Amino acid sequence: MANHTSTQASFENQPTWAGGRSPFNVSYGKLMMWIFLLSDAFTFSTLLVQYGTQRFSNVVTPITTKWPDPASIFNHFPFMHGLHLPLLFVSVMTFILILSSVTMVLAVEAGHRKSKAEVARYMVYTIIGGIAFLSCQAWEWYTFIHEGARLDGNTFGITKQGYDHLTSVGFGDHFEWADGDRTFGPVPFAALFFIVTGFHGFHVFSGVVINVVVYIMTVRGVFERRGHYEMIEKAGLYWHFVDLVWVFVFTFFYLI
Amino acid sequence: MEFYNKPGDYDAINYIPHTESHGTKELWKTFWLLLGITVLDFVIYFVMPASGWRNFIFIFFGLVKAYYIVGAFMHLKHEKINLALVILVPMVFVLGLISGLLYEGSALEVMKSL
Repeated sequence: MANHTSTQASFENQPTWAGGRSPFNVSYGKLMMWIFLLSDAFTFSTLLVQYGTQRFSNVVTPITTKWPDPASIFNHFPFMHGLHLPLLFVSVMTFILILSSVTMVLAVEAGHRKSKAEVARYMVYTIIGGIAFLSCQAWEWYTFIHEGARLDGNTFGITKQGYDHLTSVGFGDHFEWADGDRTFGPVPFAALFFIVTGFHGFHVFSGVVINVVVYIMTVRGVFERRGHYEMIEKAGLYWHFVDLVWVFVFTFFYLI
Repeated sequence: MEFYNKPGDYDAINYIPHTESHGTKELWKTFWLLLGITVLDFVIYFVMPASGWRNFIFIFFGLVKAYYIVGAFMHLKHEKINLALVILVPMVFVLGLISGLLYEGSALEVMKSL
C-alpha cells in the first residue's frame, strides 16, 4: 500500500472503519445532499402533520361549515372561464413536473456518458418545465385569491343550497357560485394551502435557480474540465425531491 | 493498518465513485408508470364516490409514486443498502407520527363537539 499509483484506488481498498474510505460509496457532496433532503423531508412532514391534524378535526362533509371539498374550489382552467373542471389543471401541473423530472434524469444519464451537448439540452428542458410549473402555480394562487381566499378567514364553507347547486353541475358544465351557496368554514384552510404550496413553490423556484447555475457551468465547460458531471446528479437529487413533495401535496390537498 | 499522512493520499472531500450509464430504458419505464398512476388517480377521483377507501387508494398510489421517484430517479435502489436505510428508517417513524396525529385530530373533532 505504500506506493499506490492512484489515490482513488487506495481510497477504495481501505477497510470501512479505518477512515479514509466512504462507507456508503458516495461522494461527500452527494451524501450531504441526501442529508439535506432528509432534513427537508422532516420540514415538509411537520407541515403535513399540521395540515392533517387540522383537517381531521374538521372532517369533510358535503354540506358543511367544516373543511371545504377541494373539487368545489380548485375547478378552474385557464382560458375556460366559468366552467366546472375540478382536478384538471392540477393534473396538468403534475404532468409538467413529472416530465421535467424525466428530462432531469436524462441529463444525469447524459452526464454519465460525459456528453456535454446532451446535458445542456436536457437541462434547458428541465428549466423550461420548472418555469412552466411556477407559472401554473402563480395562476392557481391568483384564481384562489380572486375567489376570496384569505390568510385570516375562510368563506369556502358550503351550505345546503350550495351543495345542491354544486352536485347539479357535471364535469365541464358552466358553474358560478350563487348568493347563499357559501358560508364560513375553518379559518386555517387557505393559510395552510398557501403555506404548503408556497413552501413547495419556493423549493421549485430554488430548484430552477440551481438548474440555471448548473446549466451555465455545463455550457462553460466547467464539468468537462473537471472530468465528471457529478454536480448534475446533486442538482437532480434536489429536483426529484421537489417532485416527490408535489406527489404528496397533490394527494393531500387536491385528491383527498 | 496503514494511515495516510501525505497530502493527496486521503481525499474524502474530492472522492467521486466511478459511475456508468445504465441506459434510459428504466427511466422511461418509470415515467410511464408515474404518468399512468396519475391518470388512474384522475379517473378514480371521478368514478368512485368519496370514501375512506378512496383516500386509502390515493395514499397508497402516492407511496407507490414515491417509491419509484426515490428508487429509480434518485437512484437510491442502486446505492448501498446502508445509505438507503439511513434515509428511509427515520421517515418510517415520521409516517408513524403523521398517522398518530391524524388519529388525535379526529379525537379533537369529538372533543370540540362536546
